[in-house]
Amino acid sequence: MGATEITARTGPIPNNRRRTIFEFLQSMPFILPALILFAVFFFYPIVKVVYLSLFLTNSQGVAKHFVGLAQYVELFQSPDFVQSLLVTLEFVLMTVIPGIILALVLALLLERSIRGIGIFQTIIFSPISMSVAAVSTIGLMAFNPSVSLLNFILQRLFGLPNINWLNHTFSSLVAIALVTVWMNIGFSTIVLLGALHNVPTELYDSGRVDGTNYLQRLRYITIPSISPSLFFIAVVSMIGSFQTFGQVNILTQGGPAGATNVVVYSIYRNAFFNFQYGLASAQAVILFLIVLVLTLLQFLVLERRVSYS
Amino acid sequence: MGEHQKKTTSRSRKVVGIGVVSTLGLTALLAGCGGGSNGTATNGSGGSGSNNGVVQLTLWHAMGGATGQALDQIINDFNASQNKIKVTPVYEGQYDDEFNKWKATQGKGGGPNIMQVYDIGTKFMIDSGEIVPMQNFIDQSHYDTSQLEPNILGYYSVNGKLYSMPFNSSMPVLYYNKEDFQKAGITTPPKTYDEVLADAKKLTIKDSSGKVTQYGIGIATYGWFFEQMIATQGADYVNNNNGRTGTATQAIFNGPAGLTTLNWWKSLYDAGVDLNLGSTTSLTQNAFLAGKVAMFIDSSGIYANMVNGAKGKFDVGVSELPRPAGATGGTIIGGGSFWIPKDQSTADQQAAWQFIQFASSPAEQAKWAEATGYFPITKAAYNEPSYQAYLKKYPEFQNAIDELHGVKLTYATQGGLIGVFSQARQTVQDMIQSVLLNKQTPQQALDSAASQVTQDIKNYNLTVQ
Repeated sequence: MGATEITARTGPIPNNRRRTIFEFLQSMPFILPALILFAVFFFYPIVKVVYLSLFLTNSQGVAKHFVGLAQYVELFQSPDFVQSLLVTLEFVLMTVIPGIILALVLALLLERSIRGIGIFQTIIFSPISMSVAAVSTIGLMAFNPSVSLLNFILQRLFGLPNINWLNHTFSSLVAIALVTVWMNIGFSTIVLLGALHNVPTELYDSGRVDGTNYLQRLRYITIPSISPSLFFIAVVSMIGSFQTFGQVNILTQGGPAGATNVVVYSIYRNAFFNFQYGLASAQAVILFLIVLVLTLLQFLVLERRVSYS
Repeated sequence: MGEHQKKTTSRSRKVVGIGVVSTLGLTALLAGCGGGSNGTATNGSGGSGSNNGVVQLTLWHAMGGATGQALDQIINDFNASQNKIKVTPVYEGQYDDEFNKWKATQGKGGGPNIMQVYDIGTKFMIDSGEIVPMQNFIDQSHYDTSQLEPNILGYYSVNGKLYSMPFNSSMPVLYYNKEDFQKAGITTPPKTYDEVLADAKKLTIKDSSGKVTQYGIGIATYGWFFEQMIATQGADYVNNNNGRTGTATQAIFNGPAGLTTLNWWKSLYDAGVDLNLGSTTSLTQNAFLAGKVAMFIDSSGIYANMVNGAKGKFDVGVSELPRPAGATGGTIIGGGSFWIPKDQSTADQQAAWQFIQFASSPAEQAKWAEATGYFPITKAAYNEPSYQAYLKKYPEFQNAIDELHGVKLTYATQGGLIGVFSQARQTVQDMIQSVLLNKQTPQQALDSAASQVTQDIKNYNLTVQ
């Protein structure tokens, strides 16, 4: 329809363009299903979120009162939101870096061909199959000061006092980070283990011929070879940490005094508890921008060191 | 190396399989443990319909454990008492969750025919315009409200109109472990803030390494307690006489009453005699039953749960909520009430009203009160022989009833009316924690919490105009 019009007007010259349009129309039926799904479930909500962030809403999410950018201004002036951003950054650092290091160490250990290694692999991979709710419920038992097995063990082994994990500012965040790292460690380890298996043995062989020690081989052969996987894990777990919700909801509800009020939890609170969809939308937009910028930074900075061979 | 490697992998895959299966089993087991005590008969989605002339009603509630079973009992009684209406209870989680689910579904169908809402949801429910005021039914059928407890009616009446029918009504009380009191040589439970501090010190026990094995008191950082504590000092939560003579526009709980309460709370925590388990009250209840705290503050509505839980271990004492010496205010009635949503046929509304009348009858209220520890909403229930026998068996509970009857109705004890009370409570909870954890001084915390709540009230008022 539109295409014939255009071709009629443009005449015989751009044979190229005609082909392009034809190819475009030909490809549409293949792209359309995905495009519609994306439009309905991604693009429309994104636009709606930006729209809602400019309004006060009633409890059913109907935009009621236009306030422009006032909610963004309010957020950046609110010490609670600033704290929630800081808590989120702290949390990301506490989970991503230890998570990657731990996963790397475990993957290196699990790569060895030792009798019974399968048992250890199973133990480490098993949290993958557990839901956030189940993991957090276990955490709830572990951190309860009245009946805590974790505290009992810490006390017996290290003589630590009884820790009221979830009701102190710093320890509550540590508790949630512990649960999160434990939950994600299986996935990261599997990915890194797979990468380790793909490192060509010839590289190690020639390294040995050159008389390198283990740490040198690790530094100059292993890590560069698995750097695409390390980079993947870093990006994925960073985004995952930014989106943490379930653990916080079950273990602390953002408390005590906002010490674990990560941004996504605070969005949930505002939207589905306080029914301030407008404010929650503004928070979501800000979170989206932060994650976008950080991910781009990771691609710019970290990816330079990644070698895809 | 290659050959060997392969063998290991195939073996390990089998082990991984077994591991996965056993983990899944464990997960299911945990889920089972969690659900056990709370679940009640559910019929899934809401909505109503007539089947063979029987009106089917759905009732959403937030009563878990022993209270959930007691509610099921009332509903069974009602269903058995006639053959035209069948009520099905659906447990929707705790008050907040249940209320939020209502907020999300209202006016979109699939909601309940009878909705239990906690006290602080009152203003929101009225503003939503999604309900039929209970007063309409009362007037139509000339229902006699003079038999109802005036102190309970006081909370739920707004501008002289009853919008919902009170059902489960309670007040905060001080629970204590009688054995611990005996061991510490305390004969009468503490009544004032100073006495609580002194007794809590006596009741705190440390082992040789200095580790506390028993705390004198445990107060959950639950916002309801703060609301109650300032009401005992006659202070309002919000302006315009607690929102009772006009829509509230400002939070005013940051006055001297709030400061006294926070200072006391902090003095308990700083003295190392208060176990702070956060805002989830059930954690403190469990600590009490496990013998980790000797006293705690909670609703009278969990009395039955506590007595059952402590059976064979120790006797549970009940005393009125402590207050500063000389304070002359009173506590606010708490709990929940039944609402009739507008979004249903008149026949269904009338059927719902039938059930509500049944649930408010003296006989059912007596049974309810015996099984839970909530107060009967009707004075006639005290004449029921079974309830009289119950009070003889548990003379402790008379203290809670005296507290209810002793309250003088003022704007402070009627309780605040705002549409964003759930939010305000959350803000207050964070405020308490930030004082206990030394992040802010009591007055700073009070002021910033009050200004936050004022902002929320303003925003809310803009959206309901």
